[in-house]
Amino acid sequence: MVGVKPPLGAAFLRLFVLQCSWNYERLVGIGMGVAEEPLLRDLPGGPGDGAAYRAAVARGAQFFNAHPYLCGLAVGATARVEHEGMPPAQIERLRAALIGPLGSLGDRLVWAGWLPLLAGAALAGIALGAGWVAVAAFLGIYNVGHVALRWWALRAGWRAGSDVTGALRHPVLQGSLTLVGPAMAFVVGAALPLVVRWLARPRPGVNILVLLAIAAVGTLALRTKPRLFTGPRLGLVAVLAAALVGALWR
Amino acid sequence: MSFTTLVALLAWGILVGVDLVSMPQMMIARPLVAGTVAGLLLGDVETGLRVGVVLELFQFDVLPVGAVRYPEYGPATIAAVALAHGMRGTPGLGIAAGVGLLLAVMGGVSLHLLRTVNARVVRKAAAALEAGDPRTLARVHAGGLLRDAVRAGVVTATGLAVALLGTRLGAAALPAPVLVATSVAAGGAALATGGVGLLRLVRRTNLPWLAAGLAAGLGLVWLA
Repeated sequence: MVGVKPPLGAAFLRLFVLQCSWNYERLVGIGMGVAEEPLLRDLPGGPGDGAAYRAAVARGAQFFNAHPYLCGLAVGATARVEHEGMPPAQIERLRAALIGPLGSLGDRLVWAGWLPLLAGAALAGIALGAGWVAVAAFLGIYNVGHVALRWWALRAGWRAGSDVTGALRHPVLQGSLTLVGPAMAFVVGAALPLVVRWLARPRPGVNILVLLAIAAVGTLALRTKPRLFTGPRLGLVAVLAAALVGALWR
Repeated sequence: MSFTTLVALLAWGILVGVDLVSMPQMMIARPLVAGTVAGLLLGDVETGLRVGVVLELFQFDVLPVGAVRYPEYGPATIAAVALAHGMRGTPGLGIAAGVGLLLAVMGGVSLHLLRTVNARVVRKAAAALEAGDPRTLARVHAGGLLRDAVRAGVVTATGLAVALLGTRLGAAALPAPVLVATSVAAGGAALATGGVGLLRLVRRTNLPWLAAGLAAGLGLVWLA
């Protein structure tokens, strides 16, 4: 396959619709197959009646689950090894071996890092009076990272092929992992007091004390009775109880 | 609320609902974004921001890994903003947040149903998928997107109907103590949920950074 220009652009665009058919049967598998399909068209026989193409498409659409932004790594890598003629059983093992690392890496990097970091910064920005500009900045900056990560993942997977785990050791990726956790903790930590004050307007003195008291009781409930109290349940109970208190107060 | 605004909110709700899982996951489904744009559409950005911030704190508790089930806050936020706007903005924050939480749970249930239906469609198409038929693959996938768009539309429309009903029934005329108490309670519960969610995200080794952030935030509060 070396020397053939792969249609990475088409596969890249399809990665943005990766989860359209998310289901309990194959999770993100169907979307993986859809994203990988353009990269398989050059296989012997092609999309017509090519047995190699059809077998590869079928393999690509099997069960898969990982962080959606990093699935491109598996798409690129498996498409590459399909072209290199790796035995089907080995391709399936490679695919299965990527599920854990790509899920774990993406969760740490994006869901527990990049996303809350920027959401926290946006909350702080709003609390400091930046208004909708903070929200626009959140959306813009987040998606620069989002799109870059998806593109890098697909290209790195295609380049690495069976050595895809080596791509996960990329210094920028590892450096980002090291930095994003502390940065997120700091920024969201800084945002919380600002948000408390902002929520307590227009009567900060009284409202802050009541807000903090409710937050303390709520935290206790969520930590000690996690099966009974989820976030929404706690919120609903608090609002209903407050409505009752408010009605009796007058 | 004019008919045009209602249609715009519904369209925004569909985009937001589809963004959560299907495409393109660019985070317009976050309450902060969904709420602010809903506020812009209603000509009431402040209310959009306020409802968005409260529900964003609830969203902090959600870590969408694997097949985990979670509430869907995007369309719920849009409906909550519409209700709060009908209640003259900030005073209705607590009631609107409460309704938003109910709708978020309903949205989560609809996501579960969608995934179940998608699984049934995949099972029905299993033979063609195992044969590597690209047309079946594309059809199953596109069908999933269509179903998600319909789902998001139904959830948003239901939410907007609740918001309109609440406004018509005179939610804005609720006694001031009720409005104040519910707003503070919603804020407190949101802070608790956001805080607990944050503690789940922060690794033990990063707790000093969290403490430093809290200190910096308190410093900013004191200075501002």
